[in-house]
Amino acid sequence: MNFNNIGMISLHIASVLSALSTLGYLASLLVKKVKLAKISTWILVTAFGFLTINLLFAFINSSVLINPGSRDFLALCAWSVCAVYLALQLKTKTRVLGAFISPFILLFIIAAAGETSDKSLLPQNLQSWLAGVHLFLTIFGEALFVIASCAGLMFIMQNRLLKSKKLSGMIRLLPSLNDLDRINHLCLLWGFPILSLGIIAGAIFAELNWKTGWLTDPKILWTVAGWIIYGFLLHQRLAIGWKGYRMALISGITFILLLLSYGSVRICFSTLHNFI
Amino acid sequence: MIVLSGLNHKTAPLAVREKIFAGCQERSDLLPMLMAINGVEEVLYLSTCNRIEVIASVAEDGKALKDLSAFLARNGRLTEAESKGCFYEYRGEEAVRHIFRVASSLDSMVMGEAQILGQVKDAYREALEKYATGVTLNRLMHCSFRAAKRVRSETGIAVNPVSVSHAAVELAKKIFGTLDGKKILLIGAGEMAELTGQQLIEKGAQSIIIVNRSFAQAELLAERFHGEAAPLDALDKKLIEADIVISSTGSHDFIITADMIRKIHHQRKNRLLFLIDIAVPRDIEPAASELENVYLYNIDNLQDIVDENINVRKKEAIKAEKIVDEEVARFVNWQKELESVPTIVSLRNKAGEIVQAEMEKASGWMHDLKKEDRENIEILVNSIVNKVLHAPVTVLKEESADISSRDIVAAVRRLFRLD
Repeated sequence: MNFNNIGMISLHIASVLSALSTLGYLASLLVKKVKLAKISTWILVTAFGFLTINLLFAFINSSVLINPGSRDFLALCAWSVCAVYLALQLKTKTRVLGAFISPFILLFIIAAAGETSDKSLLPQNLQSWLAGVHLFLTIFGEALFVIASCAGLMFIMQNRLLKSKKLSGMIRLLPSLNDLDRINHLCLLWGFPILSLGIIAGAIFAELNWKTGWLTDPKILWTVAGWIIYGFLLHQRLAIGWKGYRMALISGITFILLLLSYGSVRICFSTLHNFI
Repeated sequence: MIVLSGLNHKTAPLAVREKIFAGCQERSDLLPMLMAINGVEEVLYLSTCNRIEVIASVAEDGKALKDLSAFLARNGRLTEAESKGCFYEYRGEEAVRHIFRVASSLDSMVMGEAQILGQVKDAYREALEKYATGVTLNRLMHCSFRAAKRVRSETGIAVNPVSVSHAAVELAKKIFGTLDGKKILLIGAGEMAELTGQQLIEKGAQSIIIVNRSFAQAELLAERFHGEAAPLDALDKKLIEADIVISSTGSHDFIITADMIRKIHHQRKNRLLFLIDIAVPRDIEPAASELENVYLYNIDNLQDIVDENINVRKKEAIKAEKIVDEEVARFVNWQKELESVPTIVSLRNKAGEIVQAEMEKASGWMHDLKKEDRENIEILVNSIVNKVLHAPVTVLKEESADISSRDIVAAVRRLFRLD
């Protein structure tokens, strides 16, 4: 059995486990039992372990850093979101966030399992370790923004419930406003520098390889726009002292806008990042 | 037979409960006196602010239960008219169900409250120390604790707060997560406000600032809470520090206006602010609720939450009753097992199993013996076992008609590990 097989098997196991944990999280919302969410967290931890194995084998096998396949890319997306969520869960004990995030993880893994592994992600002329660093950091940074925005959306829900003065149902399950705000804060705080480094790595790479023309690539423009907005939010938080509702609202809206624009760019334009 | 006599907040007015409570309290020999009642074998006396009950295991049905009620009435020096209709009396399964429901807090004034189980446990400890309980009541009480524990963990009966102050604490937790390091600002005085402040501090809030029209009054309260007192005109400044504000003054105008909060919002660095207005007429301008990161609850909002939670508890109580039913059935089953016949059967079975197991073990070396010798050995073993069992089985049979056989049966079951 070669490495590729073991990697593939662990990816399949991870997909089954993350499907189970997604179901568990959603069920815990429906029946309002914390115990289910607890079990789901442990299932997700196991899934995370298998994802790590998958990536390790991909790493040994095809040297991901230089020539990542599109499956590895998607698996890396899943792994990053998973890692960030689990770290936050450890820090803030807010399990319900899992119900919002585990579906994303599941989607990434399913997409990864669906890709053929030997399909090379990058054209031959792009294969370099700098591209790998760029890839990893941007994905990780974006994953942090995804979670910051999820926390923001949950904050908006909880805020509305608290303002409507009904202390029943969902309100008990959602984490406290303070915890959600803290998650948003932590994710922005870490996501921004990581994404910055990722963008810088990409820029250096592009400058070395393409020289000109890459700056006007639509996908790059959108990424930079997102980066600027999140940077602005982080600035407002640290320097001006924005907190709570406004932060949640803006990061939520930004997230939805960026998602929409990403989709439309992907469909309508041809870009240098056609592989993503 | 287990019997129960008692009275509670539903059947007897406070005055009557007080009289019995006082009458029983002054007697240090209460349990021995109850034990002295004809027919009473084991007894337990439970008294809380809402109920007084005597649970007993008695020899025969009938008189002992009436005597117990009469004893309580006599001790409280109740007149005929007072004691009429106050007492409830339960026998057998009914009595078991009642004590299980009491321990599970299904019979309490505030359904689902946590104290009653502790009080029942205290009563049991007291009886245990005075050697007033035996096999039956010990088992009964342990089963009641288990029923209570199951009700607590398997239903949501105790989950949602059913008092205004608890609801406020719960809301604070939904806003701030943990209350550690949070500052409370108490404006005005009043029982409810103080109680809420007290509970927030118990849950981890860091400090309390007390603002009052009368500074002396504020200082007095501050001393009690180990907090800080401030005059009313310093309110603006204190609002900047506070995370949770509880207001209950007698003022006819708004003490805190939306404008006031808007102005200090920046100085507060947009921190979340939880405003609790329990004054009538209101102290805090309702428009404050519209502000970002400000959560305002008035007394009606809190009461609505409490009312809804009471409804939830009522629904959960249906589940709880089912659990109590299960546990009652379990206990009654145990009681039946205590009767002697099943014990004799299981004793004989156990001996038979031992004989068979030992014979099988010995079959290795017995293999060399003649068939005749092997049969003789088997006969010998069986007859020894039967002789040994003869006496206990006879006693069990002889005593089975008598109620005191329970102790013997229980002893045999324990000695031979039949359970």
